[in-house]
Formats: sequence, C-alpha cells, structure tokens
Amino acid sequence: MYTKQDFFLITPDQSLESLFKELLEERGNIHTFNRGRSAIDRILQTPPSLIILDILVSDISYLEMIKLIKGENVYLQIPLILCLEKDIPQELMDIPAMDLDIDDLILRPINKKEAIIRTQITILKASKFLDANPLTKLPGNTTIIQKIQTLIDAKRDFALGYVDLDFFKSFNDKYGFSRGDEVLMMTARIIVNTVKDICGTQGFVGHIGGDDFVFTSPIEKAERICKEIIKSFDEIIPYFYDPQDKKQGFIISKNRQGKTERFPLMAISIGVVFNIEGNLKHYGEASQLAVNLKRLAKSSPKSSYILDRRIPKNYE
Amino acid sequence: MKDLIDERRGKILSVKDLPTLPPVLEEITKMIEDEHSTPKQIAEIISKDQVLSAKVLKMVNSPIYGFPRRINTIQHALVLLGFNVIRGIIISTSVFDVMTQSMVGLWEHSLACATTSKIIAEQTGLKDPEEFAVTGLLHDIGKVVVALQLPEEKQEIDKLVKNEDILYFNAEKKVLGFSHDRVNAWLAEHWNLPLNIKEGLTYHHNPRFAEFHPEFANVVHIADFICRVLELGSGGDSQLPLLQKKAILALGINFKKLANIMDKVLEDIIEIITFIPK
Repeated sequence: MYTKQDFFLITPDQSLESLFKELLEERGNIHTFNRGRSAIDRILQTPPSLIILDILVSDISYLEMIKLIKGENVYLQIPLILCLEKDIPQELMDIPAMDLDIDDLILRPINKKEAIIRTQITILKASKFLDANPLTKLPGNTTIIQKIQTLIDAKRDFALGYVDLDFFKSFNDKYGFSRGDEVLMMTARIIVNTVKDICGTQGFVGHIGGDDFVFTSPIEKAERICKEIIKSFDEIIPYFYDPQDKKQGFIISKNRQGKTERFPLMAISIGVVFNIEGNLKHYGEASQLAVNLKRLAKSSPKSSYILDRRIPKNYE
Repeated sequence: MKDLIDERRGKILSVKDLPTLPPVLEEITKMIEDEHSTPKQIAEIISKDQVLSAKVLKMVNSPIYGFPRRINTIQHALVLLGFNVIRGIIISTSVFDVMTQSMVGLWEHSLACATTSKIIAEQTGLKDPEEFAVTGLLHDIGKVVVALQLPEEKQEIDKLVKNEDILYFNAEKKVLGFSHDRVNAWLAEHWNLPLNIKEGLTYHHNPRFAEFHPEFANVVHIADFICRVLELGSGGDSQLPLLQKKAILALGINFKKLANIMDKVLEDIIEIITFIPK
C-alpha cells in the first residue's frame, strides 16, 4: 500500500519553501518550519521520513540540530539533507568525515531535477539501513566487527565491553516477546546514554542481537560505565514486570527442562577486555575474551561486571 | 452536548505546544547550559514544573522509544532519554505570552501538591514516594491544557466561579460538560502515561473509583485538600473541595499522622513558594 510520507523542511527562506513544495508535493506531506527550535519538538515526537535542513536557519545552529537528531539511536535513521548556499562553508569542511552525519547536501541555486533525484536516493538509502538492528536501530554485527577491527589495526588503546541480561529468557517465556522487546529497547537506551554521557563521541555502542550488546570506550572510563549501567538497569527493570511480580521480586516460569521454577528479576552482566599497546590481534580474539569474562560475571544472579585483570598500573 | 464534548475533546488532545512560566524556563535553560549541572539537579528542577514534567514523561513513554506506560519518574526518564533529548525538549518549550496571576497560582498549587503527596506517601509507608510526587504535580494538568486549547470557555469558567462563588470543578462541568479530571484521563491515555499516574490524575476528586492503584488517587485527593486548606497556590476558586473520609481511612491516617503530615508540609513550604518568582 502506498502511503504519503511526511517531509520536514526547516528553513526561513520562502523561496526554498515554495520550491520544495512544488517538487515534493506529490510524494508526501511537506511540513515547513521557519524556526529550528519549533521543528525539534515535532521531530522528537513524530519523526518524519525525511528532513531537509537549511543552513540559513538562525535561531539554532544547524550543526547543533544535526548533532541532536543524529546522536540518538531512535532518530538517526531519519535521512537528513542539508541545504547550503552557493558554497560549502569551511566549518563543514573541517568536520572529520566520520562525524559529518548528514545523508546528502544540495547547493543553491537549486537545480530542480537534481533536487528531486537526490531526495529520492536519500530516502531509498535510508530504507536500506540494513545492518542496523531492526528493533533498537543500533549498529549491527557488520559495523561492530569493522569498528573493533579498525581500532585493533590502528593499535589504539580501548576497552571492549560485552553486555547481556540474566533471566531474560524466563521473562520472555512468561510475558511474551513484545514485553521482551520493551526490555531490550530500555537496555539499549541505558547503554547508549551512559556511554555517551561518560565518554561523548569517544564511545561506540552496538547491538549483536537478542539481549547481547557491545560497547567500546577509553580504558579509564570503562569501570564507571559498567557501574552506571548496572545502577540504572537495576533501578528501572522492576517497572517492566507486572505489579505483583515486581512486589514479590521474582516470577514463576518454566526452565529449560519445562519444569516450573522461580526466577529472580532480570540482572545485567558485563565483561570488559582491554586492548593495551596492541595486545589484541583480531576481533575474534577480543570478543572471545570479553564473552568469557561476561560469562564469569553471569555466575552471580545479581547484576555485576568483570574487568580484564591485565589492566596496567598507569591506568589505575 | 455529546458532539460538543467530542469536539472539545479533539481540541484538547490536539495540544501541540505546552508552554510554561517564563521564570521557570529561564532557570532551567540556565541549568542545562551550565556544564557543571548534574543529571540529578536537572531532574530535581524538572520535577518542580508540571509542564516540563508532563512533556518529559510523554516523551519517554511514547511508542517511539518502545516501552510505553512504563516510566513514571523524572529521574528514570532522564536516564532513558539522555541529556541530548532533555535539552531538545527544553529548548523547544515556549512560555506563556502573559503570566497571569491565576496561572502562577496554579503552578504553585501543583508544586505544593507534589510535595504534599510525597510527604503523605512517606508518612504512610508507601513505596516509591517519588511516583506520588509526580502524580501530585500533574493532577491539574487538565486545567492548563483547557486554558490553552479552549481559552474562551476558560474565561467563562472563571467568570462563573467569580459570580456564583462555586467550585472550579463544578463551573467546568457547567461550561464544558466535563471537568479537568476527565481531561486528565484523556491526556494520560493519549500520552501513554503509566496506569498509576493515570488513575491518580483521573480520580483525585473521586478516589473510590480507582480500580488498580487506589493509593495514588487517595494520596493526591488528600494532598489537594491539604494544599487548599493551607492556601498553597490556587486551584482557581476559593472553595474547599469535599474531603472523602474513605481516602483517609484507606491510608490509615489518624489525627496524629495528619498533624505530622501538616507539620512536614509547613516545614517544606519555603522551598515550595520560593521556586516560582513572581
């Protein structure tokens, strides 16, 4: 079924507004915002299929708007086209390629045919955001492997954390998959926000699948990240249970043998390995070590983390 | 009348931009721009403003994030939304063009009711008092939305209260065909707020109808009454709503406990009334 898409155009320029109205009218509903700030609220609440952002928007910096939208796992898949004046400003050129999070750009004076095609391609590309986890929209395995291998190859010092949930299966068995998905979305938000809060752009979070997540961070920040994730998770998880189960602190569900058993509320386990002076050689080795540590952390029914013991003194 | 109510309901639910009071927004904007502010400080100040709290809870419980109706404290919302999104909510919030005395009164009353709800929850041994504070804070949010979306009707309500010296609640019924408790129910449903908050907002005038979380309706009902008695802020009229004895009994509040609660409220009052500069 063909449904009309919502396009958000953020520009103080009336000629740009009428131009895009003419170009895109048949393809979707165009909502124009003359001010950046008024667009933000709408974007956060009803994410559109495409954002066209004019560099001339003046009440808030366009770079800040891009950062706000593209910095969030739930919004980063919205394609964004930046509309520039005749030339590309130097500040844009100075941003490292990896950090310039826009999907395309269009220069003034606008060539109509070009604008139509670019818009279409951008929307299409966004729909092919294949590697992202379909639930959390976090980067999936291809990106994770690439990211970690790149860090290893560059002999960068970093911490690699593997995260998973204890008793997630019994929760899923009792409450069903959609309730399980709620927990995964919540867990993703906690990990993303904690890593971002503590190490800004120096961190990375990926979703391997199911209840398995990874993050990378600077070595000295890893322990604080673990502690904060655990604290937030333990505080919030009871609210994902029905009131009675929350109150009694356990659920009755079936174990792997099909027998009825009591299960505690979910907990979170984290294993962290460090790459120091290039001691790790490839992704497989790093992930195996981290998974083993995570397993060790899992032997406790409470939330816990275990750090690689090979951490050198100057990092402590 | 039914069509008219439906039409008004539609107008109410289409509320897009919920403004707050200028000094409140100024203070919080200062705070988010200060690098040294901690998430805890930000949560504390958001917890003092009914509109910002409503917006934050609406956002974190929206289906976009994937766990609707689960989150009922600002502290948790902050962890899950992150600083970036909170900042987005704050910078996109506008202020009332005119800060009327009645609006200021409503803000003060809501904040006082939040504090009082929390104190009642603590004194009666209820778990998670923070959740009661949020419910108390939002208990009159329906009045704010009606004032915004149905300004003419709001004027009529005010006129009626003044001329006939009746309860705001009853004036709303006469003018609109429903009161703010109905509006609260619609908003709570529309915004995917958790069930305990929803019941507290919906039944704070009639706690006996609360089905799943009567303690929330009971606490806010009593808190509302105490704030009216102590004249903390203003609910829009100079009347006392009826206090339901059952609510008091259900929470096991006796004279001694009631005295303790009132003492504690009066102790915390300075903090309440100095938050909103006039």
